[in-house]
Amino acid sequence: MPVDAVAPSTEDGTVDAYPVDPGLLDDLRRARRRRRVAEIHWVDALYRVYMAGLVGLVAVALIAGTVGDTPLTAGQVGDVTAHGPAVIGLVAALAVAVGLRSGSRGGPLAVEPGDVRHILLAPVDRGRALRGPALRQVRSALFVALLVGAAVGRFADRRLPEPVGAWILAGAVAGVTLVALSLGAALVTSGRRLPRAAASGVAAVLLAWSALDVARVAVGGAPVPASPGRAVGWLALAPLDLHVASLGAVAVAVVLVVAGLAGVGGLSVEAAERRTALVGQIRFAATLQDVRTVLVLRRQLAADRPRARPWLRVGRGPARFPAWRRGWNGVLRFPAVRVGRLVLLAVAAGAAFRGAWSGTAPLVALAGVALWVGALDVVEPVAEEVDHPSRRQSYPVEEGALYVRLLAVPLVVSILLGLLAGAVAALPGGGRVPLLVGLAAGVATALSACAGALGNVVAGAPSGGDELGLIAPEVAGLRMVLRAVWPVVLAVLGALPLLVVEADLDAGRPAAGMASALWLAVAGLAALVVAWVHQREAIAEWWRQAMDAAGQGGAGTRGDDDGDEDEDEDDSGDDEEDERR
Amino acid sequence: MSSPDEVPALRVEDVHRAYGGVPAVGPLDLEVAAGEAVALIGHNGSGKSTLLRIVAGLLDADGGEVEVAGWEGGSVHARATTSYLPDDPVLYDDLSVAEHVEYVSRLFGGDGFDGYAEDVAGRLGLAERIDDLPSRFSRGLRQKASLLLGLARPFSLLLVDEPFVGLDAPGRAALLGLLAEVHHDGAAVVVATHDPEFVERVDRVVALRDGEVAFDGVATPAEALRLVGA
Repeated sequence: MPVDAVAPSTEDGTVDAYPVDPGLLDDLRRARRRRRVAEIHWVDALYRVYMAGLVGLVAVALIAGTVGDTPLTAGQVGDVTAHGPAVIGLVAALAVAVGLRSGSRGGPLAVEPGDVRHILLAPVDRGRALRGPALRQVRSALFVALLVGAAVGRFADRRLPEPVGAWILAGAVAGVTLVALSLGAALVTSGRRLPRAAASGVAAVLLAWSALDVARVAVGGAPVPASPGRAVGWLALAPLDLHVASLGAVAVAVVLVVAGLAGVGGLSVEAAERRTALVGQIRFAATLQDVRTVLVLRRQLAADRPRARPWLRVGRGPARFPAWRRGWNGVLRFPAVRVGRLVLLAVAAGAAFRGAWSGTAPLVALAGVALWVGALDVVEPVAEEVDHPSRRQSYPVEEGALYVRLLAVPLVVSILLGLLAGAVAALPGGGRVPLLVGLAAGVATALSACAGALGNVVAGAPSGGDELGLIAPEVAGLRMVLRAVWPVVLAVLGALPLLVVEADLDAGRPAAGMASALWLAVAGLAALVVAWVHQREAIAEWWRQAMDAAGQGGAGTRGDDDGDEDEDEDDSGDDEEDERR
Repeated sequence: MSSPDEVPALRVEDVHRAYGGVPAVGPLDLEVAAGEAVALIGHNGSGKSTLLRIVAGLLDADGGEVEVAGWEGGSVHARATTSYLPDDPVLYDDLSVAEHVEYVSRLFGGDGFDGYAEDVAGRLGLAERIDDLPSRFSRGLRQKASLLLGLARPFSLLLVDEPFVGLDAPGRAALLGLLAEVHHDGAAVVVATHDPEFVERVDRVVALRDGEVAFDGVATPAEALRLVGA
């Protein structure tokens, strides 16, 4: 009978630090790992390596195509030297801020759920138990950062002076340092259980400092001490202008990672359990391409919950337009962190417009993606109805009509975000976009991004039991890719006319005509998406009937009973699956 | 420090915990003597599971003190003393039931899958499935595997959260018997449950209402049901 405790008697006051042999956990884990490795089939392993290599090659080829290989002029190199460290410093500050926020929620570790329940509750040294997984995570992240940094350095060499080896080395070291800073900050924050408010405060100070640094370098103004993130910028651009202070970034990164690994045992079990469950679900939803579920779970992970009290109260009396009021009730309960994120994404989109306007055309994609990510939050009133099909079906309103009515508030918010992005693009300084062009680009991109996000939310995850089974696997694969990509493509399309305007102005042609036509075309596409949402039930019904008719025809010709059985199964599918079609 | 006999198996003092500003537990005081069997009852949301999870070290209290056999709650020695059986079984995907016991029992200083574990597995109806992966089990079988894991290791305080949910009649009877044996052998047992049959067998009933102790004493199943508003 096991009624006993391995904790020694407290009578003599002398106790072992850990009542269970510390090496036991290592032995047990090694045995598990050996078994897991033995179960991996070599074909699976080869396939994974093949896929990773293929994806890496495609990514490198795509980036190589967009970066171009025209060497920069001396003036442009001077601009890079002057502005680059502050801009890269802002990226570094963002990485550290992400690490701090993640650490305050128990990140970056996501241990197995079983390990949380069985190992972290066992009388073993938690530091020893967690250090192995943490070290593996750090090692993998740094290896990827090394490769990506070296690749970026190789691309930089095509446009900047100095030997290729110097750029590859600088890129690799800067990449590793950037990721180490982020992971180290996260590990220290979670191990020391830094409160969320304190972590967010430090993150906000770092970000604000770096943003002021960028602004000062760009437009002048009151002197601001160089932000800490600049050290990473100097490291990345060391071939152009070597600063000894850049080594400080490496030293801080090493200290943070070492301190984080040393203190990893202080991780809160509650945070670890919560995180491990959510991260597992997020990974699963991501494999299903279920963007909405990923978003909802990420919000849970970030404790991003609606405010109990709205920022502003919308009237309590009878609502003449209930969907309009319901939309504002939801949007006005967005927590500060979500509002801040939306503003940051709009600012990032504006900055990307400026970059695109000054010659780095691929940055329009960044603007589109930033506003699309924001739009996934903005369409929340519609998403709430999509998430609860049984409640929605109880309303005496057609599903599509309800979604379109609920879209009014997200469209207004999107326009506001688009105006903000346009205003940022038109601020004085390098790469300034003319105000009207900036505002038009911002609003058009925000609206097309909203339409794309609406498509993501309404379409949901691909259903395994839909008509995909009737088409060839190659076509099904292509369809899956298109399904995942079209909302982002639509968002990016909204930003493309900016390049046309820029090219027209450069060539001395009047810019208004072609750009207006293109933006009208984008608006037409967005309107088509809204019309599809309105009519998708009717379209789905028509498709069902067409499939049924085809199935009956085929079954009659073949005289095959199986066809009838399949048909019955399709008919018995639940409403949710039917809607997903 | 005083003799172990005088040290309570569990002492909770002024413990409180809120979720998003909404109080879930406390401030709450509770003491469970060594070898005592306690039924923790209360309506849904009364704070039973939160209290057990705080004692087990899975949740951080917002304030207050928890001591297990004189050790600070969540400390390595408190963990060595406690066995927590959750209402949601969490098991590894790549270990069979026997391998689970071997792994977890040894982490707690036990003897692995020994004769006692084999006996408990048999009584819970798991003997035939001992080499199967619990990831392929039904909810009830997973619950039984989790019970086996919690019992087949050394402990002197057993915390059990809603153990009868999802169990078939033989499993339920076996568990009632095992809990009685564990209690008889000297372990303190705290079980959060609505099961009248278990309430009838314990030394003491603690009823929680809105996170605070609303009743602490001996109660019949009928009184217990009335206390939780059923």
